[in-house]
Amino acid sequence: MSASAAPDLFRSERIRRRRAVNRLVELLATAAALLAVAVLAIVVGSVAKRGAGALNWDFFTKTPDFAALPGQPTGAANAIVGTLVIVGLAVLMALPVGILSAIYLNELAPRRVANVLTLALDVLNGIPAIVLGIFVFVLVVNGHGQAAWKASFALAILMLPLVARATQEVLALVPNSFREASLALGAAKWRTTLSVVLPQTLGGIVTGATLATARIAGETAPLLFTSSLAGNAISHDPREPLSSLPLFIFTSAEQADPKLHEQAWAAALVLIGFVLVASLIARAFAARSRQRLTGER
Amino acid sequence: MVTLAAALSGLVLLILIARELLTAAWPAMDRFGLDFLTTKAWDPNKKLFGAATFIFGTAVTSFGALLLATPISIAIALFLTELAPRGVRGAVGILVDMLAAIPSVVLGLWGILVLGPFIVHTLAPALHGTLGFLPIFSTEPSVGSNVFAAILVLTIMIVPIISSICRELFLGVPQELKDGALALGATRWEVVRGVVFPYARAGIAAALILGLGRAVGEAIAVTQVIGNNVAIHWSLFESGDTLASRIASQYIGADTNLQIQSLVYLAVILLVFSLVANVLAQIIVRRVAGRHKPA
Amino acid sequence: MRGLMRSKKNGRLAAATGVVVAITTVAAFSVAGAQAGSARSSAGEISGAGATFPAPLIAVWQQRYEAAKGVKVNYNAIGSGGGIAAITQKTVDFGASDAPLTSDQFGSCNGCVQLPWVLSATSVMYNMPLKNTLRMTGPILADIYLGKIKNWNDRRIKSINPGVSIPDQNITVVYRSDGSGTTYNFTSYLNTVSREWKSKVGKGTTVNWPTGVGARGSSGVSGVISRTEGAIGYADIAYALKNHLKFFAMKNRAGRFTRPGLVGIRAASQADRKFSPTNELSIVNPPPGKRFLKAYPICTYSYVLLRTQSQKAALLKPFVTWALTTGQQYGPNLVFQPVPAYVVARGKATLKKVHS
Repeated sequence: MSASAAPDLFRSERIRRRRAVNRLVELLATAAALLAVAVLAIVVGSVAKRGAGALNWDFFTKTPDFAALPGQPTGAANAIVGTLVIVGLAVLMALPVGILSAIYLNELAPRRVANVLTLALDVLNGIPAIVLGIFVFVLVVNGHGQAAWKASFALAILMLPLVARATQEVLALVPNSFREASLALGAAKWRTTLSVVLPQTLGGIVTGATLATARIAGETAPLLFTSSLAGNAISHDPREPLSSLPLFIFTSAEQADPKLHEQAWAAALVLIGFVLVASLIARAFAARSRQRLTGER
Repeated sequence: MVTLAAALSGLVLLILIARELLTAAWPAMDRFGLDFLTTKAWDPNKKLFGAATFIFGTAVTSFGALLLATPISIAIALFLTELAPRGVRGAVGILVDMLAAIPSVVLGLWGILVLGPFIVHTLAPALHGTLGFLPIFSTEPSVGSNVFAAILVLTIMIVPIISSICRELFLGVPQELKDGALALGATRWEVVRGVVFPYARAGIAAALILGLGRAVGEAIAVTQVIGNNVAIHWSLFESGDTLASRIASQYIGADTNLQIQSLVYLAVILLVFSLVANVLAQIIVRRVAGRHKPA
Repeated sequence: MRGLMRSKKNGRLAAATGVVVAITTVAAFSVAGAQAGSARSSAGEISGAGATFPAPLIAVWQQRYEAAKGVKVNYNAIGSGGGIAAITQKTVDFGASDAPLTSDQFGSCNGCVQLPWVLSATSVMYNMPLKNTLRMTGPILADIYLGKIKNWNDRRIKSINPGVSIPDQNITVVYRSDGSGTTYNFTSYLNTVSREWKSKVGKGTTVNWPTGVGARGSSGVSGVISRTEGAIGYADIAYALKNHLKFFAMKNRAGRFTRPGLVGIRAASQADRKFSPTNELSIVNPPPGKRFLKAYPICTYSYVLLRTQSQKAALLKPFVTWALTTGQQYGPNLVFQPVPAYVVARGKATLKKVHS
């Protein structure tokens, strides 16, 4: 409102009160944001401070030993290798299925079918990880034994909706003109999808996959049922249960030995480091790739 | 076609999950029926299992977390969309997203070793001392594992979820509507209260439902800090247990068939709740998206 | 313009290459791991899971046995309940439990046998800033765990500890939240000293605890106690010693206050020499009498659980035999009393039922 209005209006009680309320709300909102940042700083700070001390060469190369004498070096090497295998296999399982689903739902499916199946994926996304853990246990572990690939299977179920949704979003960003042009030139629908649409979305898919990987790398509940009875030796055999960083943290946190607490912090630092770095890279990549895509319009 | 098969996987998995869980829980469901939901005991010796204490615990922790998280998340979303200077928005936004990226087991670790002692030595005495007449603060904790710790940890977990959905919602409010209000002399807050909130009302509801669903389903961080006690207390400083947490702590060591089946029955309850909550939220989201699509 | 297109194309190419490289690496790594795994298991590897009670001794066995015979033994201390579940669900080659299997559990397990292979005591630990070792009796302990006695300076606790000035301090009861054989041992003892406990709560690997805070594993219980002043909890004596926690001198039925040690365990083991058909021996709260003057009332055997039909029978039988004989010598350091000769004999006889 222009200030050429009568001076009364500007300095009246009501205006002052409304301005004060506005100020208050702005302060509260700022406080809330600062609170969130503070909590992040406290948690990550605790992990960094307490974990950095125990993050030494032994941690990455030695394995746990219940009967370790004081002074004997122990570490979490088997957990690190195990996590790499389990997460790696999960990505291998979820990525193709997620991408293909998104292609079908976005490019090839009739509207009704796409709606129902997309709803199913979204609902699957909301199922608690512990329920998925029991499901995989009942399906393939009970009576047969634990295995790292079964843990990967559980994590893949968690990943699937994330990858599918991310791929769908990027597919939707590709301008229809591309598809129409390709079809006008006589290419079949699948050819269009494969050669014209998909290459545009590669960056977005990588972003989505990276974010999904970062998300499941920290999941513990499914591992409890599928890969918790692991040995102490370093192994990358997916047919046996393998140790993993999240379970290592989970069990070490409850022990009485302070040395194990330190190692739990170190493992948390490794896990957070990987998750945060992956998220940041994925987001940077996403911002750039979205710019490039929409900039083409 | 290959892609159709892939796309069906989501639906197939949902059906499989429901079927396997119901089959595994059936003997307990048959034996206890719906009384399971109101039985307070969890007694392997007397072969009597019930979900009442865990339903109570889940309700208290999840709604408690939602109560704390809602104003904070909405305030953060407002900060990031309406109120903050442009440069700050990006940085703070990334930081809030990083909060979501912290694995729950790491939050639990922090909860056991840092938050627990803090509650016992500082926070609880303060709250008990000043607000001890309230039933929820009526006792003093001796251990750091209690319902209050679980509520705080869950709050930290769901704030980024609710706030990121609200952020998208607030960004989606048509600029013309906001400009119109501003042109009429409204303050920023009045624009938020009068334009943004009503417009985004349904979406905020969906965000809260999704946040609640996350809090209800969280097993690991909760089981690390809640004390695993089967009892209903009004004081938040007592130990308790939730549906998801009980499954996580007892499933591995469940050595009788009835106990295993009862634990899967708990999982069925969780599954039903999360299905209902999710479908509800998704319906709201789709209806909102449809209504607000430009003509 | 052409440069822009090329850089875009290079970007996409880089992303695609990166993804392909990552996928191939993972696949190759896993396949290599599977091959290495199968190569290794032919040299000999057995996996077990179960009670935390014998875990300190089993950890020593793992080292010694691999050094002696080259066979690797994996053991996950997830609690007796977990051990019973694991052997029933066939996720391990052997289970370990301080709680003997019930007939229902034998039914579910469908072809399992148990035999005692370790003998030790459950200590009742506490965290109080007092120099002397406190005394405790069964009935008082039961009332503490029933929630009837809530403070350390209760008249009854003071009366059995004359001369010790016990401060005003809330008692925090700690119990095992996971399925635990130590819980079975502890609650079996409480059953014999308190009728109210027996009718209200009973014994088992998991019970309906009237009060207190749960912790996972003997390690978890030790952890909570060491962090909480005024806490009381129970775990194998090895954990109390490892974590420098104090433990009570318990009154036995002969009227003496005894501590969990090799002498007390040896005396208690004489309380039951007669095996049940499933090899069960119960030595909780030995009767009064000269033989049991020095007995510690909360002792227990711990059992190994095997399937009668197992692919790893050829590796399991020598291991269990070794554990019953050579392995026992590593026990006393950790307050595990070597099992009596009749237990060894019975174990060897039971092992004959295991085949591949």
